[in-house]
Amino acid sequence: VKKLFGVTLGVLSAIGGFVDIGDLVANSATGARFGMKLAWVVVVGVIGIILFAEMSGRVATLSGRPVFDLVRERLGPRAGALNLIGSLGVTFLTLTAELAGIALAIELITSVNYLLWIPACALVVWLIVWRVKFDVLENVFGIGGLALLAFSVAVWKFGPDWGSLIHDATHPHVPGGEGAPTYFYWAIALFGAAMTPYEVFFFSSGAVEEKWTKSDLFLNRANVYLGFPLGGVLSLSIMAIATLVLQPLDVDVGSLSQVGGPVALELGKLGLGILLLGFIAAVGGASVETAMSVGYAVSQFFGWSWGKLVKPAAAPLFHTIVLFAILAGAAFALTTLDPIKITEYSIVFSAVALPLTYFPILVIANDPDYVGNKTNSWFTNFLGSIYLVITVVAAVAAIPLMLVTKAGS
Amino acid sequence: MNDERRCYIGLHLLDRQLVDRDGRPAGNVDDVELSDEDAPTVTAILCGPAAYGPRFGGRLGHWIRAIHRRLVRDEPVRIPWAYVARIESSIALTAPRRDLGTTALDDWVNEHFIGRIPGAQHASE
Repeated sequence: VKKLFGVTLGVLSAIGGFVDIGDLVANSATGARFGMKLAWVVVVGVIGIILFAEMSGRVATLSGRPVFDLVRERLGPRAGALNLIGSLGVTFLTLTAELAGIALAIELITSVNYLLWIPACALVVWLIVWRVKFDVLENVFGIGGLALLAFSVAVWKFGPDWGSLIHDATHPHVPGGEGAPTYFYWAIALFGAAMTPYEVFFFSSGAVEEKWTKSDLFLNRANVYLGFPLGGVLSLSIMAIATLVLQPLDVDVGSLSQVGGPVALELGKLGLGILLLGFIAAVGGASVETAMSVGYAVSQFFGWSWGKLVKPAAAPLFHTIVLFAILAGAAFALTTLDPIKITEYSIVFSAVALPLTYFPILVIANDPDYVGNKTNSWFTNFLGSIYLVITVVAAVAAIPLMLVTKAGS
Repeated sequence: MNDERRCYIGLHLLDRQLVDRDGRPAGNVDDVELSDEDAPTVTAILCGPAAYGPRFGGRLGHWIRAIHRRLVRDEPVRIPWAYVARIESSIALTAPRRDLGTTALDDWVNEHFIGRIPGAQHASE
């Protein structure tokens, strides 16, 4: 059983990190708009996050050094600080969106306006970071998030014409009536959502919190190879059900109820109930992850003690940063800015921050000082280099495309 | 680190994590102090904004140092090279972190804020 639970870090990273509010919105919105014609981006994103999460987990397991340690180490004080500020900005925006996301899911259940729920959500998220043990939060959120499989069940129950779905997915093209810039803008949004930097901040720090050692390297692989593909399947399911139900109706996804609506149509009240549970677990897990990732990034950059292995009094700066991040995120969410819009911006900006995060990981995963004889294979380096080029292209194109397409509208 | 290989200040020292005697994080190598000889040797590790600011460079680096000077003091925290036990993926030191002087901000925040919140003294259950 312990081994079974050993993969929950990956499941949490996958459910709460991969399938978070960003993926729920991006996959649903692109499915409703482009059908499965952007499904390839999800596959590219899953392979990318597998590649770099495995490297970061391996480095953290063998050296005890999580990602932001490496960022500072390889990029130096200036470029490292630039990455810190960029990553913090993106992760903070994501945290805001996740907090609002939990509140929106509770609004769907209670019909009480989401703004009223935000302070309570923020308090619960903080209490979890303050008091709950790392493996408990992994298990609860990871397993609760599996309820999102309702999306996959809904697709299956719909009984789609699989041939045409797969044909769409394997023959990507810009659909008629849409401009190429809009298509590629959404491609970058999906890519940013899949490879959000905080996933590796959290996963690598989690490996240290879980005290993984050399003999746990198989856990690292098991987590990565099971967790993220599971997240990919969920993402594609969300996109598929949006393609099947929302696209014919010409829905422009702008709320969480539209993301979940198709599941309610297919599976009824019970299905919707399970789905909402999954929403809360996935988005709640992601809130905790993003809040802690803000603390991890700053603490690791400056070399302070961090994490949940020690009592809060032994990592005071880490807990101060997490607390203020949650407070500021809740305050920002309470400004009534549209949470779906915040989400869309956060994933596009995260595409901009990708190269500076993934470059140091690739370098250090080849450094025997850190990983001994477990350096990257030539194949991993080959793929990793290709992905660095992809992330640079996405990062450079993201903002211009955002301006040209008026954020994909 | 492998002893047969050279140790480069830029590659193996600067910006690395410091770990105290008990394995706890104790700051970062923000700069190093070199002796004033023809063949300089590293005499100390320097930590804190007063060391980080100048390495950051530019106007912002100047501000970091200036703000730190007005709030605290001008000199960086100095860890004598004799304290260095091993250079690995982190720099292992032979002293406990309270003797290093790199944790002043940590201690202040703990005493005035985090330490006063209920539950701060208990590890997560």
